[in-house]
Parts: sequence; structure tokens; C-alpha cells
Amino acid sequence: MMNPTIELNELEVQLGGRTILHGLTGVLKSRAIGLLGPNGAGKSTLINTLLGFHSPSKGSARVLGLDSHTDGKALRSLVGYMPENDAFISKMSGVRFVRYMAEISGLPRAQAMERAHEAFVYVGLGEARYRPVGTYSLGMKQLAKFAQAIAHGPKVLILDEPTNGMDPPARKRLVELIREIREASDICLLLSSHLLRDVEETCDEVLILRNGQIASICNLVEERRANRKFLELETIGAEATFIATLEGLGCECAVFTGGRIKVVMPDSVEIREVFKVAADKRVQIRRMNHRRDSLEDIFLSAMEQTGAADGRI
Amino acid sequence: MAVYKRRYNSYTGSLTAPWSRFFVLTRYAFADLFKSRFFVILLILSLVPTLFFAGYIFIANNKTAQLLMQLRSVSLFSVETPYFLVIMIAQTQAAFLLNCWVGPVLIAGDLTNGALPLFLSRPFSKADYVLGKLAVLGLLLSAVTWIPCLLLFSLQAGLARNGWIWPHLWMIIPIVLCSAIWILMLSLLSLAVSAWVKLRIVATGVIFIIFFVPAGIGEMFNAIMGTYWGRLLNFSDMFRLILINGFREPTGLLGPIGQKQIPVPAAWGVLIFVCLLSLVILKARLRARETVRG
Repeated sequence: MMNPTIELNELEVQLGGRTILHGLTGVLKSRAIGLLGPNGAGKSTLINTLLGFHSPSKGSARVLGLDSHTDGKALRSLVGYMPENDAFISKMSGVRFVRYMAEISGLPRAQAMERAHEAFVYVGLGEARYRPVGTYSLGMKQLAKFAQAIAHGPKVLILDEPTNGMDPPARKRLVELIREIREASDICLLLSSHLLRDVEETCDEVLILRNGQIASICNLVEERRANRKFLELETIGAEATFIATLEGLGCECAVFTGGRIKVVMPDSVEIREVFKVAADKRVQIRRMNHRRDSLEDIFLSAMEQTGAADGRI
Repeated sequence: MAVYKRRYNSYTGSLTAPWSRFFVLTRYAFADLFKSRFFVILLILSLVPTLFFAGYIFIANNKTAQLLMQLRSVSLFSVETPYFLVIMIAQTQAAFLLNCWVGPVLIAGDLTNGALPLFLSRPFSKADYVLGKLAVLGLLLSAVTWIPCLLLFSLQAGLARNGWIWPHLWMIIPIVLCSAIWILMLSLLSLAVSAWVKLRIVATGVIFIIFFVPAGIGEMFNAIMGTYWGRLLNFSDMFRLILINGFREPTGLLGPIGQKQIPVPAAWGVLIFVCLLSLVILKARLRARETVRG
């Protein structure tokens, strides 16, 4: 049986006497996993723990069956890591920098050189490969970091905010590359991003963290397959009977302040039936939004369930 | 990831031995160093005294050359223990200057733009990283200390013949051992400074300060307290003490050694303590983790 991509078992991490991750437990089986959460949720700490940079104070974390603490070196031999912050050697030319990193990962000189050139052309920096990395724009530096993460052909690709500082076309190109790599190989992907769209476009499963705890684990593939329809209503005069009647039709309803109601509709129910119930119960529908469940809904729902309605990420 | 296909392929080829990967750092560092003209000049200047020492050994062992130069005093050309002590002192000073130029850039360049997580997210430990950087200084400083000294020793042994080598063979041990502790201390100290101070000029200054300011404080302490233990803070002096002791040379070119002398084990202790302190600093400064917010 194949090992889960990430397995967290009561994982607790303390830094400077403060508990950052509080007993995370969960199994993520998909090949492309998104990591979401507000600032300070513990995303980077989780990534650093998976890379073996932090030791768990309790519990364990496994990637492809390898314990991040006890099998650190073996695990890191499978990983390509693109950190969030600046990470480069400014005076080195781009291609030499990537070749250097590939050689440290164990590629022989000639192969490292070949792969470095290929990685640079692949990410679209072929023309700039002989320029010192320090002279690159922010977006180009991101691509150079991405190139060094893939040059040695890792089995697990860990990307921390990969599209930070990129303009929309560059962002789109990078997201396409990530998707292409995921589809063209058996690589596993862990992507942490503030941009829900990046995660939605590249990942199959999402781990949402809040205050160092798991707020939600959601399989996006299953969500997409379920293709659930949603109605967001803004109403006046909606009382319990209106909600009860909708629930009687087989809908799931969530009521929010200000007359806002979120309705999950089964396939058998048409929108006109909602209007009919509203007319019967003398409920004014002031606004209606009909759409599929998006990652944003999942994220906001997870934040609300854990008591953070602001939804800032 | 073939270029013409422009698609990603994972790597399935052979890998280098994990134990040998630290040397990648050394190789790249040397490649960068030799791009600097100043470094090449400094390296050549560090080796120039060796040529003079070699010339001296040649003349000392060549009667014809002595006659041609009209030199009559044979005692002037004695190549014995004090001579090798002088070579060692000259070359270790050259090593110090070379270290002050090379050491400060080795780690600072990686720390300035946060490249360290890239090294440590690979199957590459902190120890591998330090070893790779240490090898740069180790090889470089060896090339100006014990290697030329042993070459001169071999030259003298070859030219002097009539069994000169056998009563002097013991000198190989102090040449290698004293060079080793000096190289280790200089290398670790400059790497620790490089991990702490990012600007080369400041880091070079800090290395000079570490060598000269405590020595001055030590002398002040001696003068005020009427003791000689303040010399423990003079690292160069402690090394010289080890060197003189290693070469069994209580008097001679370096002048007589007074009655009140720091014990040699204490001098070793000071240098080893500096090495350990540098390792502690390196351990604290070389961190892969990034800032944890919130």
C-alpha cells in the first residue's frame, strides 16, 4: 500500500517556549496538497518541521512514510524546496547557482550543469541565465528559486508562497508550470500560499491551519466531483418556517446575521422552488448569488467554525 | 526536462557519494576566490618567502655557490632547528593575513541573501556545510604553512645528505601539529566571524580586533596585577609558545624565555577553547529556519 503524502500524528512544535503547532493530527493522501491559513497560523512552521528544521516537542510528522525528525536526511534527499523569503547567492550567475544546488543534492557535475540549463529554460529564464542572481527582478528571483527546487528532480516539491511578488502573467505561467509538473510526473506537491486561487488551481487537497491547529482538511477533488450548488441569499423577513420549508425540500441551510442565508441545493431542487417558498412565506429576497462551492467558501467556513469570522489571510 | 520538449522529467541518473558532497562547497569557493586578482597576488606573496628560504638552503649546501658569492663563514649558513622555526613563524603569519582576506566572505555570502535554507533543505547537514567551508581554509592555509615547510625540509634533507634527515626527522611532527592547531583556530574563528558579520571589511577588522585587543588587555592586566597570566589572551603569543616548545628551542632567534612562563598545556587550552567557542557561535548562527511570525 502506498504511504500517505503527509501524515501528522499529534504533532506539537514549540519555539522559544511558545507552542506554535498544537497536536496536529491528520492524513493527507493526495499528490498535490495546499496549505492555507492566516498569518501566524503555523504554515511555515509546519513546512520547516517537515523539512526537519524544527524538532517536534511531541508527536511526529511523516512525508511519504519518512519521519521528519528521525529520517531527516533521507527525507530531504527527496525534497525540492522553494522558500518564501529571498534565498540566493547574489554574485553567482543564475545557471551556476542552480547547478551548485543540484550538485549539493548529489548530481554529478555534468548532469548538474545540464539540468541547471534545462531548468532555467523550462521556467522561462533562459535568456537571463548568465546574469548574476542579485540583478534579477523579484519575479525572476522567484523563478530562479523554483528552478533550483526542481533541477535535481525531487519526489516532493515544497513551495512556500511561490507566486509572491510576481505580476499576473508571470504568476499564471508559474501556476501552469506547477500544474504541468504535477501532471507530467509522479511528484508530490506541498504548496503554501496566501492566494486561494493558486491553491485551487494546483492542488487536490487542502490543509487549513488556524492558530496552530487544523481548521479543516478538505479534498478538493471530491468537492469538485460533488459539484454542489449554492445559493447565497440576502433576505428580509425570513423566519424559522422559511428555513424549515427549504430543509423540507432537501436543502442544507446556514443562517448568518443580517438575513443572510447560505443554501446548499440538491440536484432535484430548482431555484424557482426557492422563489415559490419565499413567496408563500412572504420573504423578500433582496439579493441572490448562485454558484458552486469554491475554496474561498471552504476557507471562510473553516475560519468561522474555529471562531475567526474575519477571514483575513 | 529536455530543452526541446520543454517539459519536466524527474532525474533518474546516478548520484555522488553523500560523504563527498561537502567538497562541492570547497570547489565552488575556490573557483570564486581565484577570480579575484587580489587574492592571487596575496597567495603568491605568501609563498615568496618560501623561495628565499629554498634559495638559502641551496646556498648553505652548495660550496661552489658560497665561493662564488665570496662568503667564508660557514656558520652563517647553518640549516638547523631554529631555521625551520623561523620558516614556521614567517609562514604562519602569512597564513594569518591570507585567512583575514579569505575567511570573512565564506559564510557571509550565503547568509546575506538567506541561501542557507537551500543548503540545509537538501541531504546536507550543518556539519557538512561547516566542513566544506573549513576545507577551503584548511587547504589554502596548508599550502602556505606545513606543505612548503615540509618541502623545504625535504630539500634540505636531499641536499645535505650524509644522514642529516635522521637526527632531524622529529621536526616533521611539530611542523604538522603546530600548523594544524593554528590553521584550525584561524579557520574556525574566521568562519564564526563570517557567520556573525556580513560585511567583509568589518569582518576582517573584527578578526584583527580579536587578535590584538585582548592581547593589549592582557598586557594591561599583567602590568596592574603584577602577573603574567594575562598573556593567555594573546593568541599569537600562545601559538608561538607552542611552536617554540614543539621545536625544543628555549633560546636562540626568538630570545631567551623567562622563568615566569605560561605552561604549554595552558597555551594549548587557550587555542582549543577558541576553537570550541567558534564552533558554538557557528552552531548558533547557522540556522535553516526562517522567522516564525505571529
